[in-house]
Amino acid sequence: MIELLGAWAPLLPVLFVALGGLGLMLVDALVKDKAELAMGTFVVLSLGAGLALGLWNEPVTAASTELFGGWVAADRLSLFLDVAICGGAALAALLGGGYLREHQLERGEFYVLVVFSAFGGMMLGRSSDVLTLFVALETLSLGVYGLVAFRRTSPRAAEGALKYFLLGSFASAILLYGSALLYGATGHTDFVGIAASIEAGDAETRLTILAMALMVVGLAFKVSAVPFHMWTPDAYEGAVTPATTFMAVVVKTAAFGVLLRVLFVVFGDDMLSAPSTGWPRVLGALAAITMLGGNLAAIVQRNVKRMLAYSSIAHAGYILVGIAAAASGPADAGWSETALSSVLYYLLAYTVSNVLAFGSLILAGSHGKEAVSYEDLAGLGRRHPAVALPFVLGILSLMGFPPTAGFFAKYYVLSAAMQMGTGMLWLVLVAVLSSAVGAYYYLRVLVFLFMKQPEPGAVVAVPMRSLYVVSALVLSGYFVLRMGLAPNAYLEFALEAARTFG
Amino acid sequence: MFEVYFPVFLMLAIAVAVPCLLFTLASTLGTKNPTPEKMLPYESGSASTGAQHLRLSVKFYLTAILFVVFDIEAVFLYPWAAQFRELGWAGLVEMVLFLLVLGVTLVYAWKKGALEWER
Amino acid sequence: MDIGLGTYLSLAAILFGIGAVGFLSRRGILLQLMSIEIMLNSVNLTLVAFNRWNPSSHAGQVFAFFVIAVAAAEAAVGLAILISFYRLKKTVESDRADLLKG
Repeated sequence: MIELLGAWAPLLPVLFVALGGLGLMLVDALVKDKAELAMGTFVVLSLGAGLALGLWNEPVTAASTELFGGWVAADRLSLFLDVAICGGAALAALLGGGYLREHQLERGEFYVLVVFSAFGGMMLGRSSDVLTLFVALETLSLGVYGLVAFRRTSPRAAEGALKYFLLGSFASAILLYGSALLYGATGHTDFVGIAASIEAGDAETRLTILAMALMVVGLAFKVSAVPFHMWTPDAYEGAVTPATTFMAVVVKTAAFGVLLRVLFVVFGDDMLSAPSTGWPRVLGALAAITMLGGNLAAIVQRNVKRMLAYSSIAHAGYILVGIAAAASGPADAGWSETALSSVLYYLLAYTVSNVLAFGSLILAGSHGKEAVSYEDLAGLGRRHPAVALPFVLGILSLMGFPPTAGFFAKYYVLSAAMQMGTGMLWLVLVAVLSSAVGAYYYLRVLVFLFMKQPEPGAVVAVPMRSLYVVSALVLSGYFVLRMGLAPNAYLEFALEAARTFG
Repeated sequence: MFEVYFPVFLMLAIAVAVPCLLFTLASTLGTKNPTPEKMLPYESGSASTGAQHLRLSVKFYLTAILFVVFDIEAVFLYPWAAQFRELGWAGLVEMVLFLLVLGVTLVYAWKKGALEWER
Repeated sequence: MDIGLGTYLSLAAILFGIGAVGFLSRRGILLQLMSIEIMLNSVNLTLVAFNRWNPSSHAGQVFAFFVIAVAAAEAAVGLAILISFYRLKKTVESDRADLLKG
């Protein structure tokens, strides 16, 4: 079977998801009584992740890397991102299946948008040309704008979608202008060609640096790094919670994947990536303000969804620390594989932890009242311990408490940064300090869950019953614990993917 | 350079001058005797109804946007048609796949009722 | 007058600047959408101009085609969101998007 496909084999997961998406779209349009689209979406996306895992040990041929004249990459990094993106999207679809039915919002568009956005993310992860990058990024973003606006009767959804759309397209335009200048400076649009041209000194230096700045700003918007994060809390709060989960896990993973590729492949030149004068310095600064800004803003939030949005901004900061660390080694040592793999491991851990946290938030509410504020969670741990348990696990993992996936992720990123010597010490210090600040608002959730009681007379959120949501929680909870208790296999997985940059 | 375009500019000048002249003559020489009926907008003799700011139905928007999206996708057909022989069978297959995907989206829009005016 | 690459690039840069400043300073959502379109079109001009002076491949022109197609899709989604916003809030001023704060 694999031989039959030849050079096309590395594209199998993404082709499968695209075909599956078209199929689901037709089912949605043609089948009148509501089909089990949530299940269908879950199956399509998890098979996509399974295909990516199955292809892991298939040797990548030279023909594959040259496929379509270098427009898409065929390597383990793209397969790794496929697994993270498809897995996250599949879990978000399961959450959607439970949530939409409970709140009587069930419409097929949701699942179609989820599949096609995930497809965009997978293409983004394997884009190897600025043109593919742009088209894939827009495929991902346009779907997500639709997902945010999904609840048509909610002014908050419309507002969040509008802000996200306006700032998102502005960022895309900036990124695009950077790509155009890069094409002008080097005469190439494929990553390898651009890098070779920069390496050979053929590129106009000032134009290249300007292009790099524009592209980094554009991508910083997408990963919601401070100060380009303004849209994040609004879009996260306005969207229906499964869509928020999708944004938190899929959009961020895909955007970080392509950021890695752009920084380490396109701008991997010695001059541009010099630790003290090149982009590692800029990313380090960005990481520091992102961690501080995200954690400090999260403290004052009264809405748990909004708090989780700021927490996702803070997590983007920790990931940026890993990226900055990977390029901060001695000049002749190349990239630090440890740091790169810690970034990838973090993305996996972040995905499952967020699904767990958002999924528990979904499970805590039902049609009458959705759990959104801290007060809505008051006493939930006493009344419904089974609902509070996954919440506790998710929050502990986001906080970085052992023995969860989040703990090891943070630990690996910070220890990789420590190995880079004294240059990174301040960044590690900032990370530790801001994590300590972050513990406050994470623990606050636990305090409300177990130590507070709802105000007398207040409407109490009753947990919903949904097999979909429960199974998503069981799956993500399993991985949170598994990655925390036996992280070696996952770390090896991330390390093999990180060797792509060799 | 300029000589080549001189006739065009001349034509443009005449085209602007003639209506200006006519309107000026009409407004200075003619007598004015406005009545309410004369001030009404001319709608082929029938009395005009409704407010001047007509709320356009959102249906126009949906149709227009579907038109724009499908129309723009046709942009990819032009370069393919221009290079049809050079691209050969591979190009044909790719274009057929592209059109199939477009066809599926059309079926989707159709079945979802986006093409029906009255719903 | 000699029209060189620099002229086109300057025009494109000015257009991009107009779009960016327009986006940041205007409060009408439609005007902001138009500003984004101006930015995308200035990128198209840049791409085609670079391709004209480096005609070894058609990468720039192909890129411009894709930008046009994506811009149309973006406008479709953007206007749909705008209409949804207008129906609920009866305004197209982005200042009035003030429910979500903090």
